[in-house]
Amino acid sequence: MKRIALFFFIIIAFVPIQAQVNETFPYNGVRPKQLTAVAIVHATVFIDDKTQVDDATLLIRNGKIEASGTGIKIPDDAVVIDATGKFIYPSFIDLYSEYGLNKYTPVERKPGPQIESTRKGAFGWNEAIRPDIRSALQFVCQPEAAAEYRSAGFGTVLTHRMDGIARGTSALVTLGSNENNNLLIADAAAHYSFSKGFSMQDYPSSLMGSIALLRQTYYDAEWYKKGGEAEERNLSLEAWNNEQALPQIFEANDKWNILRADKIGDEFGIRYIIKTSGNEYQRINEVKNTQCPLIVPLNFPAAFNVSDPHTTRLVSLAEMKHWEMAPSNPATIAKAGIPFAMTLFGLNDKADFLKNIRKAVSYGLSEEEALGALTTVPAVLIHAEHIIGTLKPGYFANFIICDKKIFTEGATIKENWVQGEAFVIEPENPISIKGKHRLSFERYSLTLDIKGEPGDYKGSSAGIITREVESGGVASAHSDSVSFKVKISQKGNYISLVLNPDSVYSAHGIIRLSGYVAGGQMAGEGQLSSGEWVKWETSKIPPSGLENEPAQNISEKKIETPVSIGKIIYPFGAFGSEELPVQETVWIKNATVWTCDSQGVIENGQVLISGGKIIAVGKSVDPGNLKDVRVIDATGKHISPGIIDEHSHIALMSVNEGAQASSAEVQEASVISPEDIRIYRQLSGGVTAAQLLHGSANPIGGQSAIIKLRWGKTADQMLIEEAPPFIKFALGENVKQSNWGDLVTKRFPQTRMGVEQVYYDHFIRAKEYGEAWRKFNTKSSGNKKNDVIAAPRRDLEMDALLEILEKKRFITCHSYVQSEINMLMHVADSMGFAVNTFTHVLEGYKIADKIKKHGAGVSTFSDWWAYKMEVKDAIPYNGALMWKNGLTVAFNSDDPEMGRRLNQEAGKAVKYGGVPEEEALKFVTLNPAILLHLDNRMGSLTKGKDADLVIWSDNPLSIYAIAEKTFVDGICYYDRSTEEKRMKEIEAEKSRIIQKMLDAKSAGEETQEPKAKENQHLHCDTLGNIE
Amino acid sequence: MKPITLIVVFCFFFITLFTVAQCNPVPAPEQKGSLLITNCIAHLGNGQKIDNAVVGFREGKFTLVADAMIAKIDMTAFDKVTDAAGQHLYPGFIAPNSVLGLHEIDYVRATIDEKETGLYKPSVRSVIAYNTDSEIIPTVRSNGVLIGQVTPRGGIISGTSSVVQFDAWNWEDAVIKKDDGVHLYWPSVINRTQDKGVIKLELSKSYNDQLRDIRTLFNEAIAYCSKKDPVHTDLRYEALRGLLNGTMTLYIHADEYNQIAEAIQFKKEMHIDRMVLVEGYDSWRLSKLLRENNVGVMLRRVHELPKYSDDDVLLPYKLPTMLFNEGVMFCFQNEGEWPATNTRNLPFYAGTAVAYGLPYEEAVKALTLNAAQMMGIDSFCGSIEIGKDATFFLSQGDALDMLTNHLTAAWIQGRKISLTNKQVELYEKYKAKYDVEK
Repeated sequence: MKRIALFFFIIIAFVPIQAQVNETFPYNGVRPKQLTAVAIVHATVFIDDKTQVDDATLLIRNGKIEASGTGIKIPDDAVVIDATGKFIYPSFIDLYSEYGLNKYTPVERKPGPQIESTRKGAFGWNEAIRPDIRSALQFVCQPEAAAEYRSAGFGTVLTHRMDGIARGTSALVTLGSNENNNLLIADAAAHYSFSKGFSMQDYPSSLMGSIALLRQTYYDAEWYKKGGEAEERNLSLEAWNNEQALPQIFEANDKWNILRADKIGDEFGIRYIIKTSGNEYQRINEVKNTQCPLIVPLNFPAAFNVSDPHTTRLVSLAEMKHWEMAPSNPATIAKAGIPFAMTLFGLNDKADFLKNIRKAVSYGLSEEEALGALTTVPAVLIHAEHIIGTLKPGYFANFIICDKKIFTEGATIKENWVQGEAFVIEPENPISIKGKHRLSFERYSLTLDIKGEPGDYKGSSAGIITREVESGGVASAHSDSVSFKVKISQKGNYISLVLNPDSVYSAHGIIRLSGYVAGGQMAGEGQLSSGEWVKWETSKIPPSGLENEPAQNISEKKIETPVSIGKIIYPFGAFGSEELPVQETVWIKNATVWTCDSQGVIENGQVLISGGKIIAVGKSVDPGNLKDVRVIDATGKHISPGIIDEHSHIALMSVNEGAQASSAEVQEASVISPEDIRIYRQLSGGVTAAQLLHGSANPIGGQSAIIKLRWGKTADQMLIEEAPPFIKFALGENVKQSNWGDLVTKRFPQTRMGVEQVYYDHFIRAKEYGEAWRKFNTKSSGNKKNDVIAAPRRDLEMDALLEILEKKRFITCHSYVQSEINMLMHVADSMGFAVNTFTHVLEGYKIADKIKKHGAGVSTFSDWWAYKMEVKDAIPYNGALMWKNGLTVAFNSDDPEMGRRLNQEAGKAVKYGGVPEEEALKFVTLNPAILLHLDNRMGSLTKGKDADLVIWSDNPLSIYAIAEKTFVDGICYYDRSTEEKRMKEIEAEKSRIIQKMLDAKSAGEETQEPKAKENQHLHCDTLGNIE
Repeated sequence: MKPITLIVVFCFFFITLFTVAQCNPVPAPEQKGSLLITNCIAHLGNGQKIDNAVVGFREGKFTLVADAMIAKIDMTAFDKVTDAAGQHLYPGFIAPNSVLGLHEIDYVRATIDEKETGLYKPSVRSVIAYNTDSEIIPTVRSNGVLIGQVTPRGGIISGTSSVVQFDAWNWEDAVIKKDDGVHLYWPSVINRTQDKGVIKLELSKSYNDQLRDIRTLFNEAIAYCSKKDPVHTDLRYEALRGLLNGTMTLYIHADEYNQIAEAIQFKKEMHIDRMVLVEGYDSWRLSKLLRENNVGVMLRRVHELPKYSDDDVLLPYKLPTMLFNEGVMFCFQNEGEWPATNTRNLPFYAGTAVAYGLPYEEAVKALTLNAAQMMGIDSFCGSIEIGKDATFFLSQGDALDMLTNHLTAAWIQGRKISLTNKQVELYEKYKAKYDVEK
């Protein structure tokens, strides 16, 4: 048994102590034998996140833990390392990394559309679906990157090529220096995201397209497994099916994306492990309900430089609050009981990792939770809990040695051992040569004074040089005073000193000495400026009492009590509130009530709402035994049903999936952005419901989402319960890409002629698809076992089209000129269904009679025109003319600005064409409800309908009408009378955080310049999506 | 004639009429003689209102504006007398900072003539590109907007605007003030870049450089203009001469506080006599500076969303009242989405301002006299006052509200103009087709 001190070992640690030679590899030289065991003794060892053992021994052999704990017999062949005072933890595991995969440079995209995949081979049709990629095949050790990870405490990472929507499998690797040993699990997990990455194919161009593509691929893979293979060979689907049994990891940046990913998982019985963006705390209950484990980043934002009050306006309340609350994210997740791992992915500087963990701990994350999230939890998530994550016997010897408890301020990681291979993170201070020494060489006799710390020594030297002076043939000794500045460098025991003369008298030149330290003394050789070699040595001058520097006394900073931060508000930003408004029983009196039903306009009328429904409307109503009735005296005010916007693109992450002529498979409901400020702004204009439509980039667009503006709730909670399904179609310039630039002339159709073909082609295919399913369902229900046929491939696009044919899904069609409107009606008639709504329909007035005959309704603009060639014949009398022809007419906005003045846009139907006021108001209330098949519960102030209503200051059609209160489901979501107070609260909350940011800045924290991100106003024409 | 023949003839008549008539109305001839309008509610445009007014004009100019309850009117002095029967009378509304006539179909580049290439092009003149045959113009005047400032866009100095009236054969006849001012789009303090539907707002790094460039240009122009008979002619400096000698107005387009503050400093520094601020989202914060330096504001479109996510959701609607309360002179304008066709909604911006607290006659004043003052045409138009151009209209109801804005007649320089337009004609054509109104 050979006992050595830790620091001795350290010096040679740059060479891995247990360098392993691969068994199957030939070896150039004398083949090294397997080394003996290592026993690290007297350390405080955290066997796992829950088990701390003091004065423990860690016995390592062959890269694995042989024993750990106390009372361990140290074998004779063990090298013993004394680690008294040190703390040993299992090293960290990062499940989200691209380590070891060389940077990939994508080919430059050619201008113009890219309709097909550029990937050659027997792969699937979409470049962004790459399940066949095995990151293990590309894995190589990257010493520099590995060193960065190791410095942050990591020993193992799960690495994958972060490219594409389905990204293939990741490899579980350790951060050592030998690929063959470091690759632990070749196919450890399968990875997914919403981002198509480097794919140059146009589809998908939006978040909802990514979602649809993923869903479709699940169905395709299922079909492939059940017989599709006989029809086509598809390596992508094969790989997809093969990796379904692995842990499934989904990168879903943003809290809402977590819910989106989870929804896909629910559809296919998968519980993803979700890589988040760090704002989960804002919706922790919803995130918890997904039951998905999380991989959480620690990329806390820097404070903004808010010294200029004017430029500070760029920083929204949401950004400010996020800055303040982001460090509380891990603690919030832990408190919610969600299993989670932490990743350093997303940090600009990996060195910030430990700092940020400590911050998370000071925000309430317990040390045990922190350690678990870095060791045992990720090990379990990746099904490697039997090899990594703890320091029990049999596990890989992956651990870190720290000088203090790792989550303590100022603690440093000294060493990081990877599979028994030791890496020094911070060299142990070598033998200190600090202090005063007597230095003598040749004729010099000096005092050497060394101050500072190893690595940062400051030295000076003074003394005398004796020289022989010949005077008249008589030699005598003469002494001169000299002084030097001394530059000292120390590598282990090896020392070099450069003596630079201080004074003008520098005849000595620069003297260079080098040598070694031994037992407090130094000795060696050196060269004088003359080039003469000399021997030198030092002896220690014992320190006098005064010179004794006080022992370093960095008191271990106590973990602060959790810092005080603001409250979560819903939505998370301006105009959000801690508590959502609640349903009320309200009795509104003395108002002019525009019922939009058979009661007409009731002067001095009353409305009673309760439980989210309209209880009574009339001259006088009786609240009966309703309790907690809030009475509103609405003298001089008007009440109307809530405004319904038949055509809106607010609150969406993406509007168009326009890469293909048909995108019937995409769903706006999958990309609702429930915190969009435009929702609140619409409420301020009395809007209570809206159809969120796909754009008009292609003839067959995507499926609509019909929502109520329940500000503060989640996307799913905004969707109107049991609203009938709709889909957007489009005609004209947008679908033929007339205004997209000269390069965009490739995608079919490019003319109105082609548009008709798209419809016939798709509907005929949908018919056949329906037929195939019918056949399958009939055969399968019969008992003839020998007559089993394979199920047709489930096709989400065809599903939607089939629903149209079966009159279960309704079309809202963006349309302008009469010829194309007529064409689509012919298509529909021949296929046996009717177009539900022509939207925009600016030349509807030219064929109002034909539309009437066909049975469609219309939803138009009040007065927009001349923005494109195809609307040069648009007239503001369109609505009136169509109404006079007996059509159900609505006015819509397609615009978040006009959307909140729709009541006044309806007023224009009075101006242009003389529609009676009551009827004009129906253009934005009852009629859109009829068009949306929701008039049974919305659109008028009728007993039993939803309590969606607006109290106006004036005739709602007038320019002087101001929405004073907007109720949705009997909940007052907008109240103008409290707006002033609200603005003050927003200012106060901002000011509070601004003060904190200013403090952070003066405390020397890094800051960022004010900046903002806002979502573009989406229109029909808006391509792509908000990321 | 049998009824069926009658219908056929009737239809034939209409179809022929409207097929022929689908081009812009004929401009009215020069006004001769005199007309007296009685029994109207006159909004004079100067902040005053006469509930029972008589308004007369002769040869294009107002000769009588009086309260019928007080004044004694000699009706015989007029060639013709019209009883307005309680209608509202307004000065023609003015659309400053407009691209009407330069901008026809938004998505058809060939029809857009508002943006010359380059950064500094003060000599570029909008007026010669002003298309009197724009089909949009008649739809705008049907709502009471009778005068506009044709304004070039783009770059830092976009060019020189002119003021026109909206009933003319050619731009030469349309001009009522040629080359009234130069438009300077103040460099932005905040850079907006757009990628994948996300707009990023960041503090500009080139702001100071751009300011230096503007100052250099003006300093050079001052030097150039102080020399009598310069050897070489520089069109850019020549175009700035009017700003320096006070005959033209400098329109500075800016929204942000720091831009506005700097722009006013610039006005002082360059000794520019006449300056107007266009847009002015933050102008209410600088009311004192604006008042002291006699700078009016052509306020950004009222029917807009707030610029920043945390702003008061109703702020754009409240801005006119806030400026009024601060004593800053302002008018309405329409730069924004669908800038040409939307001009007809200008009166309703004023209506919204009234809803949010602006006194009604102040709103009318902002639509008329204030705009005229800022553009330097108030000496001869912008209000119903004796001696001024008889450019005005009658509406059956309140013209600031879409529910009641219904013009029955309009005059420009005393010429009674047609109120029809392409859209009205299409309406008539299809009304006839469906026979829905008899």
